[in-house]
Amino acid sequence: MDHAIDVCDLHKSYGTVEAVRGVSFAVPPGAVFCLLGPNGAGKTTTTEILEGHRLPTRGRVRVLGHDPARGQRALRERVGVVLQSCGIQDDLTVGELLEMYGRYYRRPRPAAEVVELVELRASLATRAAALSGGQRRRLDLALALVGDPDLLFLDEPTTGFDPHARRQAWSTIRSLCSLGKTVFLTTHFMDEAQSLADQVAVMVAGRVVACGSPQTLGGRDALPTEIRFRLPDGVGLGSLPALPGAALSREGAAVLVTTGQGVLATQALTAWALERGVSLAGFTVAQPTLEDVYLALTGGVW
Amino acid sequence: MSAATLAWRRDVALAAHQVRYEQRSFWRNRRRSISNIAFPLMFLVVFGGLQHGERIGARHDLPFIDFYVPGIVAYSIMVLAFGNLAIAVAAARTNGLLKRLRPTPLPDWAYVVGIVGSTLLAVAIASALLLAIGVAGYGAHLRLATLPGLLLTAVLGTVAFATLAIGISARISSPDSAAPLLAIVTLPMSFISDVFFPLTGAPHWLTDVARSLPLRPLADGLAAAFDPRTHGAGLQGADLRTLAIWCIIGGVMMVRSLGALSARD
Repeated sequence: MDHAIDVCDLHKSYGTVEAVRGVSFAVPPGAVFCLLGPNGAGKTTTTEILEGHRLPTRGRVRVLGHDPARGQRALRERVGVVLQSCGIQDDLTVGELLEMYGRYYRRPRPAAEVVELVELRASLATRAAALSGGQRRRLDLALALVGDPDLLFLDEPTTGFDPHARRQAWSTIRSLCSLGKTVFLTTHFMDEAQSLADQVAVMVAGRVVACGSPQTLGGRDALPTEIRFRLPDGVGLGSLPALPGAALSREGAAVLVTTGQGVLATQALTAWALERGVSLAGFTVAQPTLEDVYLALTGGVW
Repeated sequence: MSAATLAWRRDVALAAHQVRYEQRSFWRNRRRSISNIAFPLMFLVVFGGLQHGERIGARHDLPFIDFYVPGIVAYSIMVLAFGNLAIAVAAARTNGLLKRLRPTPLPDWAYVVGIVGSTLLAVAIASALLLAIGVAGYGAHLRLATLPGLLLTAVLGTVAFATLAIGISARISSPDSAAPLLAIVTLPMSFISDVFFPLTGAPHWLTDVARSLPLRPLADGLAAAFDPRTHGAGLQGADLRTLAIWCIIGGVMMVRSLGALSARD
């Protein structure tokens, strides 16, 4: 099957500044693809080239089989874009805006269905100017969805959301995927990428430094497991059972066991604790988080 | 019917809907509709009341009100089609509305038809109000035979100002600074263009400057409809010609600015 987005050796220079230096990736249809990276990494430039706002200096870009630089209407019919903070006709109501933007497309999705999807039904008769920040973001999403696009660009869709609103937005985005839409997402939030993306690409200084699923990115699945717990007073590290291949260290009051054999070590430790009647307070077993991997990849600026 | 014809019909309907939504936005926004409609009305009421019954000696004893009504209609057209529109389009550009529209299938021309069409409607409503108050309230003498000239002048004047407004809006960096900036252009032009008072005894070069700008030909063309010496349909060749030239200049500026508005570097 053809890719929804195909980028091959993309370059973009502004004068002498090279913002994008040879980026390649492909997004299969129906996938959620997430572009991560620090500010100035070239994410926005790459996204704007895909959206047709900018021309590449070099390289090949295909979006749904089209060259986005040509801005063909056939492509615009099938793409929805949510940009950060974009103006709107403030004096029109949510319902009027959905009707207005719906007319731009050949096969619009009924307004009633769209407001259901973004949970804005109660605001149908509210003017855009009177919406709260979160409602306004949901309206942005609604207007990108009203053309029933096959591909959706979301630029930091939950920036400025409270935690509850973010969870809601995530569930909306997931329901879009279940409708077979392809989603191209940029975000600063690791948990967002972790929770939504099928594939993550990390951009640093104009290049993709890692690409993969959130589970395997940067060899995350092969990294050692970390087990943390606290020992009661009077019980030293020396009394712990032998853990082959594991490294023991102190992390403040806690003990940190780093091991490639997470399951075995967990079993050995818990069996030992039960046998001795020792409580292992705050016992946790964790993979390195996507954030750990990301920070390692991007040079770990804290 | 061919697919191309169908697509064309669909786009024309789309442009008509754009006009409808732009109109709705305009009238719902009190700040826009009141400042752009009420000010000229206020001028008419104040000037009409002050100079009631007086005549202009230098203009073959033309009643003052027959000078004011077309002058203020011309001023109102400039306010609506130039200042109001330039600020609205500059705002749409700086607040990202144009950026939101660009990835949608809405063609550029349909957006332009929407705002220009809506401006024509607002001008029609404002002018009808001003004419009605002038004629019914102050006894201005509108000659119905000259209506074709009046209409054509008003339409050309509106299109000229609207295209110029869209053209210069690309150069307005912030809509807040636009109002005083536009006033630097519109106020002096108003003072030399026979809209608030007749410019008698002015040096020739000043009159020539005024005649080459769009406001004076618009005011003169409209004034013909109130002048007892006007014959026929009231079509003022020289004024219409100047306005047509400004429509072309505005059109070129507009098309260029649209390129700049959707710049792809």
